[in-house]
Amino acid sequence: MVPDVSAPMQIKNGELIMDADRAVLNAYDASGVEEALVLKEADGGAVIVVSVGPAKAAETLRKALAMGADSAVHITTEGVEGAGEFDSDSYAKILAAYYGEQEYDTLFFGKQSQDTDAGLTGSMVAELLGIPYVSNAVGITREADGRFLVKRQGDSGQEIVDAGTGCLITCSNDMNEPRIPKLKGIMASKKKPLEVLTLSDLGVNAADVQPKTQITAYVEIPARQAGQKFSEGAAEDAGRVAELLEQNDLLS
Amino acid sequence: MIFIHLLTIQGGAIKRASLEVLARGRALADALNNNGQEVELHTVVCSPEVADWDEAKWAAELGAYGVDRVWSATDESFKEHNNQALLAAVQTAHAQATDQAAKPSLVAMASTEGVKDILGALSARLGASVVADVSEFGVVAEGDGLHLTAIRPVMASKAQTQVQTTAKHVMVSVRSGSYGILEEARGQEGGTPNHEPIKIELIKIEQGDSKLQTQIREIITAAADIIDLNEAETIVAAGRGVKDETAKALIAELAQCLNAGIGASRALTEAGIYDPSVQIGQTGKVVAPQLYIAVGISGAIQHVAGITNTKVIVAVNKDADAPIFEVANYGIVGDLYEVLPAFIAEIKRLKG
Repeated sequence: MVPDVSAPMQIKNGELIMDADRAVLNAYDASGVEEALVLKEADGGAVIVVSVGPAKAAETLRKALAMGADSAVHITTEGVEGAGEFDSDSYAKILAAYYGEQEYDTLFFGKQSQDTDAGLTGSMVAELLGIPYVSNAVGITREADGRFLVKRQGDSGQEIVDAGTGCLITCSNDMNEPRIPKLKGIMASKKKPLEVLTLSDLGVNAADVQPKTQITAYVEIPARQAGQKFSEGAAEDAGRVAELLEQNDLLS
Repeated sequence: MIFIHLLTIQGGAIKRASLEVLARGRALADALNNNGQEVELHTVVCSPEVADWDEAKWAAELGAYGVDRVWSATDESFKEHNNQALLAAVQTAHAQATDQAAKPSLVAMASTEGVKDILGALSARLGASVVADVSEFGVVAEGDGLHLTAIRPVMASKAQTQVQTTAKHVMVSVRSGSYGILEEARGQEGGTPNHEPIKIELIKIEQGDSKLQTQIREIITAAADIIDLNEAETIVAAGRGVKDETAKALIAELAQCLNAGIGASRALTEAGIYDPSVQIGQTGKVVAPQLYIAVGISGAIQHVAGITNTKVIVAVNKDADAPIFEVANYGIVGDLYEVLPAFIAEIKRLKG
């Protein structure tokens, strides 16, 4: 669950104010859900979606159920002290406590969240669980023996990685185009199981998952000023800009 | 107090982004040392083969950048990106450098794809506080640890946050282009006058649990002669307006005469017109060249989020209302098929 980053927002006295208090399914998570559904359609199995968050996180779980997930688990932080300031480390510990007790073929995470773009939680959870992981996946296939072959975007190209089984994979939105739920799916999602768990159900103390990092203020990004715009005809404009670049020592 | 910096060497060259972090680390260490603290700057070098490892060469090179000590992990695993091997190398070096975590530490790394892959896991392994992908950071001693402050863009680069953490061990990854490198260090030998000749220590990495290993089967790389976008001083980027081979050829020619890297918007990498590895934007590469020439790019917020640290942006677009013009230093409203040939000819003339 993330705030809608395309919604209007402003900064007042160091705080971020969103005009609409709307939570949406994180686009990278949506790609993870889509990929899980594709694998399920090919090989069978079940897709379970899990979210940690306040009461309104349930809406995004319903969206994933409407896409076709079989059941949902909402680890609620409603009313938990300090939950509004939880960081990647807090979420990773909570998720590791949950997954540590579950059986799964693989765990899909979004590679980052659209609001913070930190990209830490996935590999943190893998480390805490002691399972192999591959990040920034742009494609996933499954071998006949159940092993996951992951195509990831690395620094120098795309790497095809054999991740085995019982692994954690963080998904890029370049992997697929998540389906838009249809009316039938939306109706069906209302009857699908959505289990609500509290931190104490997981044996997690709020005191043990308090954030290690604090946001002290939101500040404006110094805006780039629109510069000069030329529209006097291709040759003249191109000549003028080339000269300006030369004067600024940029034509190396 | 120990500052640790990670350097992965593949193909024998040090990445600019890594040197930028090193320069920032040196400046912070000097400031703390002048203030009565004792700070050492260490680099963990991960390189694939002993043949690549010329101790004298690296001692001179890294010494010139002000590194006090090098932990060298040479292992076959580093031929390719391997998250468990990198984690093991940094963990081993960190344990030795900090005397089994007794001394406080700052671990700072360039925010490359390789580092993004390990950052969260490494922080969990070291029990460190971590702030990812910052554009500025500073650190001071506090109590038994360090107090880190940083600035990082959030909300699709519509805002940025000031972040802080106080812990015995803190970690940070840094966006490329956030800091300059020590230019004067280039070409110098035997270290800067302020520094003793550096110590190089070989460490053997303990690979640990083999069940955590993933195995690369294949790497699909783009052509070997392409210029790395994270390193490029100039980037020519193509957007939706680049529709055919003629336009692609113009992009290639412009890039060639500026010795520029070629990037593309998500629309073109998705359409298979350019390789996904050159996608620029929030979900692709975040770049910070001296000069960025956006051709036929409308300037969607996700794209602009990937170029905000650029020094000078030039935009060429038919649509006078395209949002790219709001961030461009110089905008040309016109048809790229007419503008680019004139632009190329003029640049060639000016460069002689």
